[in-house]
Amino acid sequence: MMTCRQFRANLQPGTADAALLEHLRHCDACLDYAMGIDPDLFFRSIGGEELVPPGGVDAFVGDVMSQVRVRSAETSLAPRHAANVWRRLAIAATIVAGVTATSLVYRLERSAPAPQNVAQTLLSVQAAKPHPAALATKSFVETYSSHNATIVEMPNDGSDAKVVMIFDDTLPADL
Amino acid sequence: MAAEVLRMIPTNVSVEPDDRQLVEQIRQGDDGAFEMLVRRKTSKVYGLCYRVIGNGEDAKDISQLVFLKLWENIEKYDPTYAFDTWLYRMVTNVAIDFMRNKQSRDNAVNSNLRLVKTSVDPEQTVTVARREVEAVFNTVSNVLSPKQKTIFVMSEMEDLRSSEIAKILGCRESTVRNHLFNARKLMQTQLKKRFPEYARLWEESR
Repeated sequence: MMTCRQFRANLQPGTADAALLEHLRHCDACLDYAMGIDPDLFFRSIGGEELVPPGGVDAFVGDVMSQVRVRSAETSLAPRHAANVWRRLAIAATIVAGVTATSLVYRLERSAPAPQNVAQTLLSVQAAKPHPAALATKSFVETYSSHNATIVEMPNDGSDAKVVMIFDDTLPADL
Repeated sequence: MAAEVLRMIPTNVSVEPDDRQLVEQIRQGDDGAFEMLVRRKTSKVYGLCYRVIGNGEDAKDISQLVFLKLWENIEKYDPTYAFDTWLYRMVTNVAIDFMRNKQSRDNAVNSNLRLVKTSVDPEQTVTVARREVEAVFNTVSNVLSPKQKTIFVMSEMEDLRSSEIAKILGCRESTVRNHLFNARKLMQTQLKKRFPEYARLWEESR
């Protein structure tokens, strides 16, 4: 390292000379002098030094290497992760296919004419006015008895006629 | 004669591989080569991190992160470029990111805090000590943006030329010089405000 005398003799404003900077960074007396020549050297004086992380280089390197080993292990497990991804994709595709098929079936069923249910039939019968000509061609059943039949009596709206619905598989279709 | 010649040839020469050779060995899966590279570059990486971040523990964590990134991205290194340039780019990216996050956290916490050193007589004669300069730098450099501070540190403390810094940061040399100029100006203003005893040195020398 150069002497203080050499430093002071060679120092110029804006110097980037490595030897001068090295001296500056180790000599407080010359730093004071250098500030009078070039104040921008103020902060330059704290550079250059080899810094060691807390705990020392060996501990630092050991920490880095152990983290690298952990990452290495993770990387070596990566193919298994990849397989899982494919498995997950297959499951997702199956679910999507199932949902699509269900919705298609549902749409098809909705587009076909739906069978009228019992409640609707009852309401339409109640609302319809009796047609004399049509009624004349049909036979009247006064009494009926069966173990298999379901008999529904229509609520009476004040008229004399009493309407009763009979649901029995054994009855003829045209009755 | 032949025996004499043989004696002159060194038989146990241990030449350490250079950075590029180490990278090649690491790519082939040599963990020992990576350990050697980490050991070789620890001081450089930690030094830059410490000067930019200003805190030993944070700088250590960031340095470790840099080396992990280095290990993960070693395949991306192009040997036609200097290894240190590539390494410094990684350091600056990680450090600048850290500083940006830290600044936003600090701004949220200390938005009303203003530290002004008022106990020192500006007229008093001072003797500059290097250790003090470090403390002064850590205080006044807070006004710089992470990029400005990184450039300032690389130029003033790591002694890198503007052209090298431009390569590292992937910007033009004029941009680097511009950042340096602004950084110096901001630092001097802060120095006048907070450490008037040191700011006098500038005024006296001009």
